[in-house]
Amino acid sequence: MKIKIKTNLWSGIIMGAISLILLILLPSQVRVPAFDSGAPSPRIIPGICLVMMLIFSVVLIIQSVVFKKEKIVEFDWQKEKPAILLIALLCIYVALILFIGFIPASAVTFCIILAYCGERKPFIYIFTVAAAIGIYFLFKYVFTVSLPTGMFF
Amino acid sequence: MGDFQMIGQALVQVFTVSNLFMILIGLCIGMVVGCIPGLSVMLGIILMLPITYSIEDPATAIILLLAVYIGGMYGGSISAITLNTPGTNSAIATTFDGYPLAKKGKVKKALDTSLFASVCGGLFSALLLLLCASLITKLVSNFTSVEYFSMGILGISLIAGVSGNSLPKSIISGMIGLLMACVGMDAVTGVTRFSFGMSTLKYGIDMLPAMIALIALTQVVQKLRDFRLSGGKLDDANKIDKEGLTKKETKGILPAILRSSAVASILGAMPGVGGGVAQFLCYSEARRTSKHPEEFGKGSLEGIAAAESSNNAVVGSAMIPLLTLGIPGDGVTALLLGAFVLHGINPGPTMFSKQGVMAYTIILGCLIANVLLFPIGLGMTRGVAKIVQVRYTYLAPIIIMFCFAGSFAATGNTKELVLCAAILVFSYILTLLDIDNTPLMLGMILESIMEKNFVTASMAYDRDYTIFFRRPISLAILAITVLLLVSLMRMNKKIEELNRKNIEAMEAEHAKMDAAMQAAKAETTEENTAEAAVETVEAAAVNQPGKQE
Repeated sequence: MKIKIKTNLWSGIIMGAISLILLILLPSQVRVPAFDSGAPSPRIIPGICLVMMLIFSVVLIIQSVVFKKEKIVEFDWQKEKPAILLIALLCIYVALILFIGFIPASAVTFCIILAYCGERKPFIYIFTVAAAIGIYFLFKYVFTVSLPTGMFF
Repeated sequence: MGDFQMIGQALVQVFTVSNLFMILIGLCIGMVVGCIPGLSVMLGIILMLPITYSIEDPATAIILLLAVYIGGMYGGSISAITLNTPGTNSAIATTFDGYPLAKKGKVKKALDTSLFASVCGGLFSALLLLLCASLITKLVSNFTSVEYFSMGILGISLIAGVSGNSLPKSIISGMIGLLMACVGMDAVTGVTRFSFGMSTLKYGIDMLPAMIALIALTQVVQKLRDFRLSGGKLDDANKIDKEGLTKKETKGILPAILRSSAVASILGAMPGVGGGVAQFLCYSEARRTSKHPEEFGKGSLEGIAAAESSNNAVVGSAMIPLLTLGIPGDGVTALLLGAFVLHGINPGPTMFSKQGVMAYTIILGCLIANVLLFPIGLGMTRGVAKIVQVRYTYLAPIIIMFCFAGSFAATGNTKELVLCAAILVFSYILTLLDIDNTPLMLGMILESIMEKNFVTASMAYDRDYTIFFRRPISLAILAITVLLLVSLMRMNKKIEELNRKNIEAMEAEHAKMDAAMQAAKAETTEENTAEAAVETVEAAAVNQPGKQE
């Protein structure tokens, strides 16, 4: 499955919509302080950013629709499927770190990733699990950062 | 304290065992990361960033990162020469002559030329940095928060103007970066911004997990995807022989090195122009002024020297705007600016007056890293070249584990892991929309500096926002921003065209060479087969004397 993405048009639409929604939400999401300290409003910088985003999103839409200036990116599902799956696996990895801790989560996730990448050599699996244990203790004893241990410890 | 006194103190500080050890480690890691195609110097620096948290002296931490940068610039040439695949973007021009020379069986000669040129280029720009930095800061010592804010706008506009293909998309990317950095509690008023009631967003998005997700994880995922699609096939690398660079050849390439170093140093000091641009211009200039322009593209030592000295010369000179004005010139220096901020160093006009010794320690560290690159390169290139042949499935899990562990180490809070994963997904969507994430990263880094100066200026001038246009220096900076933006965009288009033509011409030349070599090989094989056939017939005749009679 191949989809041609008109990146100027879609960037304009998506970013324009995001900036518009955030502009509407700005008063509720950024409250003005009760006392005037003489400092400028905390809404100024985010407000300027959102207005600029909106303006340049409109520019992108005009470029695409009126001037027909477009950059087309072909989304090939066969090519992108591994990237999407890997990103999904990394999101699951984060969830696993929170629940079962760094070492078991790394062992499980990277064995799945290695298997998905077509790796058949058992040594690479052993090496990866050993690396997970090594990195955990490196952070614990050298950098004095205890990585999450999850519910098991 | 005078400059010479500060340099004297910095000399004492830089020559410590820990600093020298960090430089050696940084150079080795830089060479490895730079050597592997698909991984960049930026990834090396990001991987090192969490480790620098445990280093007490901020100058040592920055020196380590600079050593990674310097080592990475040279490392890119190793795979360019042995594999015809540049390890970094700055080593594309090295393939033009490095690979043909390697094909002729002179890999060591090509690598030695690259190393010598890299060291010379790096030293040239580091010396320039040492001489110019203090002078420039004296020129801009009258800057106030108004001018600092305008400088922030200059920095973000230039990166937006030169990165990616579309200016509107790059500006949107920069604005997203600024907006992401606004999330969480405002430092001045204490008001929470865009937290949507989520505790994960209440304390803001930390810079380190964001940089890890935007640059490092995105790169590793793309490389793993390519690994899966190619079935894990590895390219054949040329074996390294023993014939190095002779004294006569070294003398011959010196003019090209000096010319390229000078040109690249000037280009590198301009914000928005990186090693990618400098290498092509210097290569073209070296070919134009060479006594043997016909050898370019066929394994010219001058060609390799020009390309390699230029990309290493950019390292030191790109530090000039960063240290003196607080403006990063490209993605790597933007990352270094982030590292400065994380370590509590404020680069800019006041750095040489308030943290002068530290500034000079960093500059001298850069100089020493360039000197040490030569022995390290000579001793380690052969070993590093073998890493290109290591299966990526060994490296990827370690890099990913380091990335997540590093992002967690930023604050020690598990929210960083969640944010890291969320930003990775967002970064992939941006890739699909063809939006470059370098301006986004710079926006995130510059936001705190810009907002702090904006608030200070507004409070000092009673919320008169026209002050940014009324103060002459600030107005001049804003005018320069517009002028530079327009001229750099035009220049970049022309350079892109030149680069495209250069690459096409070189690819055609390489294809011709490969075809000629294959034809010669086939001819030799045919001759050998014919000779063997004659020998067989003769032997058969000898074995059957009766028939012959």
